[in-house]
Amino acid sequence: MQIRCDLLVILVTFAVPSFADDAIDFNRDIRPILSDNCFACHGPDEGKRESGLRLDLKPNMFGKADSDETIVVPGKPGDSELYRRLISDDPDTRMPPPASTKVIKPEQRELIRKWIEQGAVWQDHWAYQPPVRPELPEVKQADRVRNPIDRFILARLEKQGLTPSEQADKATLIRRVTFDLTGLPPTIQEIDYFLSDDSPDAYEKVVDRLLQSPRYGEHMARFWLDAVRYGDTHGLHLDNYREIWPYRDWVIQAFNDNMPFDQFATEQLAGDLLENATRDQKIATGYIRCNVSTSEGGSISEEVYVRNVVDRVVNFGTVFMGTTFDCTRCHDHKFDPLTQHDFYSLFAYFNSIDGSPLDGNKKDHEPVLPVPDAEQEQQLTELNERIAALQKTINQPWPEVDAEQIAWERKVLDNTPGDKEPWTVLIPREYRSAGGADLKLLDDNSLLASGTNPAKETYEIIGTIDSAKWQTIRLEGLIDPSLTSGGAGRSANSNVVLTEFEAYVASPDKPEEWTRIPIREGWADHEQGDGNFKIANALDGKPDTGWAIEGHAKKENRLAYFLAEKPFGEQSSLLKVVLKHESVYAQHQFGRVRLSVSESNPIGANVPEEFLAIIKLDPEKRNEEQSGKLRKHFRETVTQTAGYVETRTRLAEAQKSKTDLEQKIPTTLVMKELAEPRKSFILNRGEYDQQKDEVPRQTPARFSPFKEEWPNNRLGLAKWLVSEEHPLTARVAVNRMWQQVFGMGIVKTSEDFGSQGEPPSHPQLLDWLAVEFRESGWDMKSFMKTLVMSGTYRQSSKITPELFQKDPANRLLARGPRFRLDAEMLRDQALAVSGLLHEKLGGPSVKPPQPVGLWSAVGYSGSNTVKFVADEGDDKIHRRTLYTFIKRTAPPPQMGTFDAPSREATCVRRERTNTPLQALLLFNDPQYIEAARALAQRTLNDVAGDSAARASHMFRLCTGRVPNETELAELVEGLTLDLQHYTDHPEAAQQLVAPNGEPPAGANVPELAAWTMTANLMLNLDEVVNKN
Amino acid sequence: MDPIHEYGQALTRRHFFGQTSLGLGTAALASLLPAQAARGADGIPSVPHFAPKAKRAIYLFMAGAPSQIDLLDYKPKLNDLFQKDLRTMPDVQKGQRITTMTSGQSSLPIAPSKFKFTQHGKSGAWVSELLPYHARMVDDLAIVKTVHTEAINHDPAITYICTGHQLPGRPSLGSWLSYGLGSMNDNLPSFVVMTPSWSGRQTAQALYNRLWGSAFFPSSHQGVSLRSKGDPVLFLSNPEGIDRDTRRRMLDRLTRLNQQTFENLGDPETRSRIDQAEMAFRMQASVPDLMDISGESKSVLESYGPDVNTPGTFASSCLLARRMIERDVRFVQLFHRGWDQHGNIAKDLVNQTRDVDQPAWALIQDLNRTGLLDDTLVVWGGEFGRTVYCQGGLTRD
Repeated sequence: MQIRCDLLVILVTFAVPSFADDAIDFNRDIRPILSDNCFACHGPDEGKRESGLRLDLKPNMFGKADSDETIVVPGKPGDSELYRRLISDDPDTRMPPPASTKVIKPEQRELIRKWIEQGAVWQDHWAYQPPVRPELPEVKQADRVRNPIDRFILARLEKQGLTPSEQADKATLIRRVTFDLTGLPPTIQEIDYFLSDDSPDAYEKVVDRLLQSPRYGEHMARFWLDAVRYGDTHGLHLDNYREIWPYRDWVIQAFNDNMPFDQFATEQLAGDLLENATRDQKIATGYIRCNVSTSEGGSISEEVYVRNVVDRVVNFGTVFMGTTFDCTRCHDHKFDPLTQHDFYSLFAYFNSIDGSPLDGNKKDHEPVLPVPDAEQEQQLTELNERIAALQKTINQPWPEVDAEQIAWERKVLDNTPGDKEPWTVLIPREYRSAGGADLKLLDDNSLLASGTNPAKETYEIIGTIDSAKWQTIRLEGLIDPSLTSGGAGRSANSNVVLTEFEAYVASPDKPEEWTRIPIREGWADHEQGDGNFKIANALDGKPDTGWAIEGHAKKENRLAYFLAEKPFGEQSSLLKVVLKHESVYAQHQFGRVRLSVSESNPIGANVPEEFLAIIKLDPEKRNEEQSGKLRKHFRETVTQTAGYVETRTRLAEAQKSKTDLEQKIPTTLVMKELAEPRKSFILNRGEYDQQKDEVPRQTPARFSPFKEEWPNNRLGLAKWLVSEEHPLTARVAVNRMWQQVFGMGIVKTSEDFGSQGEPPSHPQLLDWLAVEFRESGWDMKSFMKTLVMSGTYRQSSKITPELFQKDPANRLLARGPRFRLDAEMLRDQALAVSGLLHEKLGGPSVKPPQPVGLWSAVGYSGSNTVKFVADEGDDKIHRRTLYTFIKRTAPPPQMGTFDAPSREATCVRRERTNTPLQALLLFNDPQYIEAARALAQRTLNDVAGDSAARASHMFRLCTGRVPNETELAELVEGLTLDLQHYTDHPEAAQQLVAPNGEPPAGANVPELAAWTMTANLMLNLDEVVNKN
Repeated sequence: MDPIHEYGQALTRRHFFGQTSLGLGTAALASLLPAQAARGADGIPSVPHFAPKAKRAIYLFMAGAPSQIDLLDYKPKLNDLFQKDLRTMPDVQKGQRITTMTSGQSSLPIAPSKFKFTQHGKSGAWVSELLPYHARMVDDLAIVKTVHTEAINHDPAITYICTGHQLPGRPSLGSWLSYGLGSMNDNLPSFVVMTPSWSGRQTAQALYNRLWGSAFFPSSHQGVSLRSKGDPVLFLSNPEGIDRDTRRRMLDRLTRLNQQTFENLGDPETRSRIDQAEMAFRMQASVPDLMDISGESKSVLESYGPDVNTPGTFASSCLLARRMIERDVRFVQLFHRGWDQHGNIAKDLVNQTRDVDQPAWALIQDLNRTGLLDDTLVVWGGEFGRTVYCQGGLTRD
């Protein structure tokens, strides 16, 4: 069964309450009908367009159909083919065709009729026209206007005959605005101060104070992290730890520093491409690395590469442009003016990352940046200085060591047989390939294979050796331009696996009687590290193990020595060498080999050949490089001179300390561009292996022009995005901030500003905000201030039956926003009011306790996040929820239960549910019980006096206001009952207040238990769970 | 009719039915949707050939890729092709890509199943000796042998089959059902997931919460994971020191105070919160009742096999699945891990089939006995199957 990306579209468009008045507005009233019912066959998608007709463009809408009928004749529905087709009874001509299962309802047909009758005024899709600052509307109740927002809201309310609500009382207001700007409740001191401040700008002072709080950046960051899908694990398969929290901290800091939004966007998209990019600007590009990644065994790298880049493009489209690019991965967009060509042209900006698409299951999937803190930076400097000093000492003249070297060289020479060239090259007389390859003897006596390239291969090479006490056979695997990638092997990746090395001797007069030469050991100048590919595997008699040369990574000559058990060939004889390549890896054979024999034992002499060769030269005749090499070797591995050895040891220690420190220094995933950009192709149906036309880097033409002076890379892309002409960027950004504060965007579908999205409830207000935001220099704090300073924001959220009936979802804002706090705000509030909250900003993510088994229930057994171990300590378990470690395949239950996304995919708008599982969590989650206990203890400590005073204080801590008489009576009565219960059941009281041992010193246990229940009740109050 | 409730419905289900084009969701809905409801919703497009009957479903998910050719897809021809190299048969491979686990191999040697197949039932379907209980009920099964997938890795494959897309970010099957059809009961969630233990190799492919997640749907539609250790539903139990009466007293006060808030502010969500808290309280009783199998008859318990008394096993999960279906849970999904045997099929598959064969059979019998099978769909399957050729040498001994 094939699922198409239309599914995404249908779900997010919920019905809008209709506020249509008599004048038909094409964008508001008509386009959505056409988009839902007609565009799929008569829209932007060229591949699926029927009868050459499209209804998303003006010339076509007022032009003629194939049948020569005019589609729309303004003022004349009866002459308009569009309308005639809608009302036709004939199933053959009726539109939409019955088989499409789409139905245009009678009232929708009526709207279309009216629209044509009223002159069929066409409008291009609103979201693709650059916003223009509108005139501020006139309103009757000018005294209610606090800032321009209110004019737009009031004008609409007056038109609908609705009266705005009164201003909320001060206690409600300060709690609301404190949550909206910091994500935390106000303290009692803050409330008292505000209540007693009668100055006209009392509220503004609160707002200014909150905008300066470091808690502001934490709160704002959280919404952004949802959008960019920040997580602490890779998200796929093993779902191992990923280290990228410095990016999270960068986001917090950017908000706290009030970084302008254009810069905020640019640094994330292209910080690495800025001139003299700072460390912070590079950290910002972590945005591009937030996509989920994998290293699952068997993955095809090219497929994963495409997936990663697609994910980046789609996220970029949603977050910055409110546009559903996902559809255009496989085909032209069904509803919006975007083509598949546009998609892969954008793809070209994000596809040239200098790193593997597979994450290697490691936390520091390249490209990464080390991010030492100040202390680490200091340590690093000290170590570097110490290392430099030691290096200086070690490089100074050491006459004692030099004397020792001369003596050593003499000793080595004495122990090395002969001064002739130690290796005698074997001149092949006979040679064959079992697999049918052509072997050609070259001038240097190596054999080069070509022609047939079998999956498995065995070479046999026979030559004559002079009479001597031969000890060692040398195999050289040589590189050759005719071989794969100019390497040494014949396989597709030029790697080689030699599964067996065998050698035989025979007397020339009996050439068929071969005697096997037993080999004692082998040595190779390189062995492939990942897996079991040591040289010994070529001597173990097993065809399925072998020596691999890592030829896919190293295009260089390879060398192996095979030392015989005892000397061979003491009479002149024939030598036969058999090289078997029989592993499961197809065609992993050497392409060019040369054999030599030697009387010496280079493995045993402990002086590698290259140094031996230098020792054999007269010291006068050595060049500088040779002398240097030999001296280095001697000093690093041979010398015994105490002073030198000590210095050397201290240097090694310092270097190890540096390596250790570097391992402790956090890293963060960043973007780094390849020197040469990768090409981008249109991929047929989005399939990674079906490349069609190559496409250049190019931004979608329909949105805004790309200026020539911009570099055509991510930096230019960012400049294009934040240019004045861009119709979407500012609108999408302001809409999201509006949604954050008012609970719902002016465009409700904040993820989709296209035809399938919902049209804005207040289009002019949206444009005013967008222009205002951009012209203010993209000032986010100032924008947030404008929102919360408006009279609209400050209204009471009380819902009257009339208001509910006319505007149940509060789209018109005749009342203030009221909705459930987000997951993070709920937990942060519990920690804050109970006094547990630890306000440390930034740092690695933390793991407060969670129920056992949530990770192991799903995790891959080999994952480094399969076992959850809770952190300990106040600075870990009582931090703001923003810092809680997010394992994307098993996110913390406190998050998901309250609609927080898993951070696997983008989320620019959380749903807001109300479920029994949420009630259970608030009742019983040990973290909430702990908070209740602390809140109870705090109240008992802080307030002397009777139960009423204490209950009132606790209530104020949680709701911000003083309880009324009824409420207070309820609380006190409940407390009395609970106190009675816990007095009667001291063991239950003990369990509740001291689950892990001793209750707090001096505590009256039943009393504390009863107050804990009261606190538990408070934290569940609707008024506490909501922003009011 | 409660106007608030009605409004919520208008925003969700009706709109959904009105707007959906044909896709996995609609197909699933169409097969599960009672015929009457289908008529009531305006414009559910085309109804299937048979009147839909199923109201609930159980999905027994074998995670890790169960070997179809050793279980239900009999391939006798493989015996003739033993040791032959699949690479020499381009008309069979037809250019299909293969995973890099094996694409570097010099040959792809074919190995037939080492398990015996015999025919069963009136249909004469071939079933492997590993599934003797399934063989007994073969006439009650529809075996689909034509399933095709595009993914070659476990993660994208299981994500695709459970959410319709290879990458995370889409709602799961069960959350679609909950979203589209709503809940049928007031005491339990509409979508429940269990992750039973397994006996095969303990190095098993991972699961992901997204497989039962709600993605961009409201979180009320996400699958509730029923645990065998600790609270069956997260945070279900009152902490020690709070008994049911104390919770009730707290809840009564909470309700009265919230009722006042509702009267002051008029927000319908407040009333909904009162209801949800009450439902939470009911769940504190209904979930333990669901989990308590002491009332099951001896013969029923025995039919599920000896593991049924060990919480967290596949057998005990199957029994719980029946108990949930009985209580009108809409969709129950069991994820049994450990089916990723690679070269270990001969040894390891036996352990896995021993886990599931009898309990799955017992579940069907039990549903049949109680009449629930009439409107309950039971699905058995995995994210993909296994190849006919071997990884490495001829390891399928």
